[in-house]
Amino acid sequence: MSETSYIGAGIPNIDAYDKVAGGRGYPINVSLPGMLHGKLLRSYYPHAKIISIDTSEAEKLPGVKSILTADDVPQKKFNPIYFMPVMALGANHDMDILNRTVRYSGQPIAAVAATSLEIAEQALELIEVEVEELPAVFTTDDAQAEGAVRLHDYTENNVAKHPYFETGDVDTALAEADRVFEHTYQTQRVHTCYLEPRMVVVDADSQGNLTVYSSNQHLFGLREKLAFVLDMPVSKVRVIKPPYIGGGFGGKLDIGYIEPLAAIMSRRTGRPVKFVHTRAEDFITGARNPVNLKLTTAIKHDGAMTARCGKSTFDAGAYATHGSTVIMVHGLFGFMYTYNCPNRRWEGVSVHTNNMISGGYRGYGAPQAAFAVESQLDEICVETGLDPLEIRIKNAHREGEQHPVFNQTFTTYRFEECIRRGAERIGWERRTPPNSDPGAGQRGLGMACVPTWTSNCTGQPDLYEHSGAMVKLNPDGSADIATACIDIGSGQNTVFSQMVAEELGIPVDQVRMSSVDTGNVPFDAPTHASRGTYAAGGAVKAAAADAKLKMFAVAATMLEASPGDLETGAGKVFVKGSEASFVTIQEVAARADSPLVQVTTQGPQTDSTPFRGTIIGVSSLNPKITPIPCGAMFVEVEVDTDTGKVKVEHVVYAHDIGRVINPVTAEGQVEGALQQGIGYALMEHMRFDPASGACLSADFLDYKMPTALEMPDKIETIFIESMEETGPFGAKSLAECCLIVPAPAIANAIYNAVGVRVRELPITPEKILAGLGKL
Amino acid sequence: MKQLLKIQVNGASHEVAVEPYAVLLDVLREQLGIMGPKRGCDTGGCGCCTVLIEGKSHYSCMTYALTVQDKEIITVEGLVTGAKLHPVQQAFVDHGAVQCGYCSSGFIMAAKQLLDSNRNPTRAEIRQAIAGNLCRCTGYTKIVDAIEAAATAVQ
Repeated sequence: MSETSYIGAGIPNIDAYDKVAGGRGYPINVSLPGMLHGKLLRSYYPHAKIISIDTSEAEKLPGVKSILTADDVPQKKFNPIYFMPVMALGANHDMDILNRTVRYSGQPIAAVAATSLEIAEQALELIEVEVEELPAVFTTDDAQAEGAVRLHDYTENNVAKHPYFETGDVDTALAEADRVFEHTYQTQRVHTCYLEPRMVVVDADSQGNLTVYSSNQHLFGLREKLAFVLDMPVSKVRVIKPPYIGGGFGGKLDIGYIEPLAAIMSRRTGRPVKFVHTRAEDFITGARNPVNLKLTTAIKHDGAMTARCGKSTFDAGAYATHGSTVIMVHGLFGFMYTYNCPNRRWEGVSVHTNNMISGGYRGYGAPQAAFAVESQLDEICVETGLDPLEIRIKNAHREGEQHPVFNQTFTTYRFEECIRRGAERIGWERRTPPNSDPGAGQRGLGMACVPTWTSNCTGQPDLYEHSGAMVKLNPDGSADIATACIDIGSGQNTVFSQMVAEELGIPVDQVRMSSVDTGNVPFDAPTHASRGTYAAGGAVKAAAADAKLKMFAVAATMLEASPGDLETGAGKVFVKGSEASFVTIQEVAARADSPLVQVTTQGPQTDSTPFRGTIIGVSSLNPKITPIPCGAMFVEVEVDTDTGKVKVEHVVYAHDIGRVINPVTAEGQVEGALQQGIGYALMEHMRFDPASGACLSADFLDYKMPTALEMPDKIETIFIESMEETGPFGAKSLAECCLIVPAPAIANAIYNAVGVRVRELPITPEKILAGLGKL
Repeated sequence: MKQLLKIQVNGASHEVAVEPYAVLLDVLREQLGIMGPKRGCDTGGCGCCTVLIEGKSHYSCMTYALTVQDKEIITVEGLVTGAKLHPVQQAFVDHGAVQCGYCSSGFIMAAKQLLDSNRNPTRAEIRQAIAGNLCRCTGYTKIVDAIEAAATAVQ
C-alpha cells in the first residue's frame, strides 16, 4: 500500500456532529409556505374493478384543495425503477399513477390534498367507492394454475418474466456425475425498514417547472421517471439533493405513487404538496420478495462441481416493478456465475400475484440465492464428508481468470484468503458434530460465502452506471464536492471527503459537500449495487485530480517550476524532493481566483498566471470494469433444544475489499448488514391475511427485527486488502456482500448445533422444535 | 377543542394551543420546530422520537401532549451546551455510531437516561437500555461501544 494521509483512516462521519445535535437535513423536515398535505385512499380489496368513485362529499370539506382519481391523471404505463432508462426493454411497464383496476390490497385509488393532514384524512372517509370484486391469487402456484384469474393482459399464466440460460452440456454432466444433490429452498418476504419514511414535496411553479424534495436513492432516476410519467421534459424537473437520507437499503430506488400525484396536485393548486408515508404504507411499498429455488448440483467424488441447475420461482406481486430485474440478478449473479462450473442451467419464473409490489433490497436477489446455494453446499458436505471450506475453495474462480460473463478478468480476487482467515479467527477447528454439548444449549459453527459480486453495473444490460462530480477550490484553501451521489447512511460523504483531501493534499475537515440538484451536477447512477465508493468515488477522485492539474499549473508559476515536478500534501504544493520550496494551497487558490496583480514602481506587472479563474475539476465517466469482491462469514450459534430459540453468539466476516478507504464506516456496513441478516435468518417475515391480502405485519410491533438484545457482542470484521488498480485509491466494494451471507451461515450453524436442516426462512423456534421432533 | 399546554423544552418555556388528540412529537416538530425527535413509525415501535420527560425516556409519538402539562422535556438539542456536545453525543461521533443518523437522537436520549441512573453499566445493561430503539444501519455494535465510552467520559 502506498503511503496516504487520509485514505485508510477511521475518520468519523463528517456529518455526525450535526446529526447527533438534532440535524435538520432530512427531507421529511422540508416545509414550504402554503404547503398542502396529501393522503392516499387505498384499496381494501386485493383485486377489483372500480365501478365508480364519488368524491362530492369530500370536496365540500373546508380545507380540501384537490382530489384525484384515475379520471384525473395520465393513463401512462410505466416501470418505476430508477436505474434503468424508461425505454429499457428489460423492464415491464405495467403500473399507472392511479388505475381503474386494483391488483393488491393497499393499492392507491384516490388522492386528497388539504390544508392539514387531519382534513386530508377526514376527506378520505367521505369518498365513496363502488367496486366489482375479482378473484385473487396469492401464491405463485395458484397464479400459474389453469384457469387462474389473469392480472395483466400482457402475461400468460401471470408469468411476468421467464428467463432461461444454459451453458455447457448439463444433461450429460448430470448423467455422468458421481453424486447429484437436489433440494428446494424457500425464502420469505421482508422489508428494508429504513427508518425515515418515504416522502415527497413537489412545488410546481407557474411556468410548469417542478421542484422536488424526496427521500430517494437516485436524484436523476426520480427526475427521469417523473418527467416520463407526466410527459414533460426532464429539464423542467429539478430534484433537490437532501443533505441526509434516513436509510434506504434499496427501498427507495423507485418512483412511488406519491411523487406524480404530488406533482399533479401542486400544478392544479399552485401550492407545494407534501406526502409522507405512514409506516404501514412503507411496509406495502417494496420488499425483498420470496423465491422458491429448486437446486440441483452434480459433483465428482473429490468435490469438483460438474453441473449446477436451478429453477427460481419468484413472487413478483401485483406489478412488475423490480420483479423483472431482481429475478435476473438473482439467477445470474446470485447463482449461475458464483462458483466455477463447466455446465450450468437456470430458469427463472417471475409470477404476478395479488400480493404487494416487490422492491429493491440490498443484495437484489442474491440473498435468496445464497440461502439455497450455501445451504446446499453444507448439505453436500454432511452427506459426503467433504470439507465445507475446501469444497468452496476447490470450485472457486481464481485471480487473473477470465470472468464468465463480463468482458474482464478477476483483477483482484482473494477468496481463499477470506475463507482461511475467517476460519482461523473464529476457531473453526473447534467444530464438533451436532448435539455434542451436554445440556439443552447446543453450540454450532457454520459458514457461508459470497464467492462473487460486483462493484457497479458495468457489463449488465440497460443499467445506468456512469458517475460525475465537480471539485472546486475556494480562496481560503478549502474544497467543495458537488455530486449527485446520495449518502443514505452508507458513508459516501465521508469517504468522498477523504478522497478529495488525499488527492488535493488538504486536511479532510477542509472538504465540504455542496448542496446540489439535478440542474447543476453531472448525472450519477443511484446509491445502489455496492457502487458508491468504487464508481461514484472514482468520479470524485477524477474530478479532484482534474482540479489538481489546474492547481499545479498556477502553483508552477508561483514556484517557478514545472507543473510535472510538483507534489501536494499537508495543505501545500511543493517541488518534489525540495519540501522547503512551497506555496500553500490557500495561496494558490487565492491567486487563481484573485484579480489582484503586483504593482511595482514600473506600474502593474504582467500577469504571469496562466490560469485565471476558479480552480475547478469536473468528471463524468463510466467504470471500465466491475471488479469482483468476495467474502466469507463464520457464525457461532447456541440453540436451546427446549425452546428452539437461537442465539447468534459470535460472527466473523472476512471480505476481499480492495483497499479500505475508511475502516470505521466499512465495519459499520458489515455490522449493520448482520442486523438485517439475522432478521432475515431468524425472525423477519411479512405476513398477509389469506383472504383479503391485507398486510398483517405493517408496524414494528408485528414485524420483528433484531434489537440490540438479539445481536451478538462479538462481531469481527477482517478486511483482506489489495490494490485494485481500477478503483479509487485501490478500492472495490462491500455493502451488499455482507448481507448475502448471514442467512445461510446461520442456517448451517444451526444444523451443526442440533442436526436440524431448515430449508425455509425464517428459521423460527417452531421449525427447529419440529425438526427435533418436539412439536 | 384546543387547550393550552405549558411546557418547558430544553430549558425554555412554551405555551401552545393543542388539540386533545395531539401527541408530543407533533407539538415538538410541527408547532415548536424542534426537529431532533424523529418520526419513524407513529406506533411506539422504533424509538426515533424518544425524549426525556422529567428525566425519563418516553416515546413522544405515544405521549398525548396534554399529559405533559407543566413538565420538563429534554430533546437531543437540549444536550448541547454552546458548541459542546454532551459526552454521549460526542461518543456517538467518535465511535462511528452514526450512519444515516435518523435513529441517533432516540438512542442518545435512551443512553442519557441510562447513564443518569447507572454510571458504570455493563454492555448487557446498555443493550437492555436501548432495546426500545431500532437501528437498521449499525447493527448496534458501535452504539454500544459509544455508550460504554460515554460512561467512562461522564465519570
